[in-house]
Amino acid sequence: MSTSVKPRISIDTWAVLLSLVLALLVRFGILKTVPW
Amino acid sequence: MASSAALPQTHTAARSNGAGFFRLIPGVLLLIAVGYAGKFIEQFIAHYGKAHHLVLPNIEYVLWAIVIGLVIANTVGVPEIFRPGVATYEFWLKAGIVLLGARFILGDILRLGGISLILVFIELALALTFMTYLGRGFKLPPKLITLLAVGSSVCGVSAIIATQGAIDADEEDSSYAIAAILALGAISLFVFPLVGHALHLSDHAYGLWTGLAVDNTAEATAAGAIYSDAAGKFAVLAKTCRNALIGFVVLGYAIYWASKGQAAEVTNKGAFLWKKFPKFVLGFLLISLLATIGFFTKPQLGTLGNLSRWAFLLTFAGVGLRTSFRELGKQGVRPFIVGAVGEVAIALITLGLVVGADRLFHL
Repeated sequence: MSTSVKPRISIDTWAVLLSLVLALLVRFGILKTVPW
Repeated sequence: MASSAALPQTHTAARSNGAGFFRLIPGVLLLIAVGYAGKFIEQFIAHYGKAHHLVLPNIEYVLWAIVIGLVIANTVGVPEIFRPGVATYEFWLKAGIVLLGARFILGDILRLGGISLILVFIELALALTFMTYLGRGFKLPPKLITLLAVGSSVCGVSAIIATQGAIDADEEDSSYAIAAILALGAISLFVFPLVGHALHLSDHAYGLWTGLAVDNTAEATAAGAIYSDAAGKFAVLAKTCRNALIGFVVLGYAIYWASKGQAAEVTNKGAFLWKKFPKFVLGFLLISLLATIGFFTKPQLGTLGNLSRWAFLLTFAGVGLRTSFRELGKQGVRPFIVGAVGEVAIALITLGLVVGADRLFHL
């Protein structure tokens, strides 16, 4: 583990960014329905 | 850290170069296939029972996805090509939690989160003290005791990794502690729902209990969702409260070990806390705030909830696929015994806390 490359952006931050992008796509009608 | 499927490889998964991205694809496809197979089996059993007028047990897709993953990981194993992608389960977990914010009104978070926080503080104090004395009783190395105490009181693997760096602990100790926490987390997936049903716990009380007692966030979310969708929601909320405190606990231990001359001094405590603070908690609160102020319509909130469920589906598949009992067994018996005794005690204490809070606050 000590030899691995430290990411510039953490996994947490990537997850937040992806979620916000998805939320905006839903809000502005680009992503209309996601079935479950 | 041991290079096994049992242990998280998030640093590898997070490499953001182009080649790294393509390496993730096979494993992510495997997560989708396993998760969807779990969903398919749940629906198939429900349809079959309905068509043949049979009363069949309703086993949630969550458990099917985990079991399929466990079977693959512990029989044929997860081939190397899939491992980087499978390790992204933690990314999907955090995205799922952020999106789950759409299903909470901020007022609920403040009220339920407030109660959860009080219980988390009590759980933290009791768990840290208990694990420390238990580890000393079993004559475990002091830093391994610290790692086990942090892992079982705060938030599992992330807390252990954060603490390992802060107190200059051996990677071997860290592997022991992570293995113990993951093995016990896997067991809790099957034991907690049984106890919850036996005690007829409400979704809310059960979710709060799993969020407080199950250490790793993925397992806590899964143990809650196996019980019911609503219980999964409350488990995430309680677990998020625990996660939010990670920085403070790690800082406390970093200062303690630095005072003994066995870890580096913490010069900027504010920066340290920010670095250790899980950012997905802020994302969860932001989405909940947007939902509360009416930024999304009702159907849009439903869509966001479904996106959250898909993200969790990949997480649950990953929980099964990354758990190799053979690798976990290699890590030794003593840390596992200390972890197991501690976990049972913490589970009982938190169960008492939740039942008490349920009577007091009518959860």
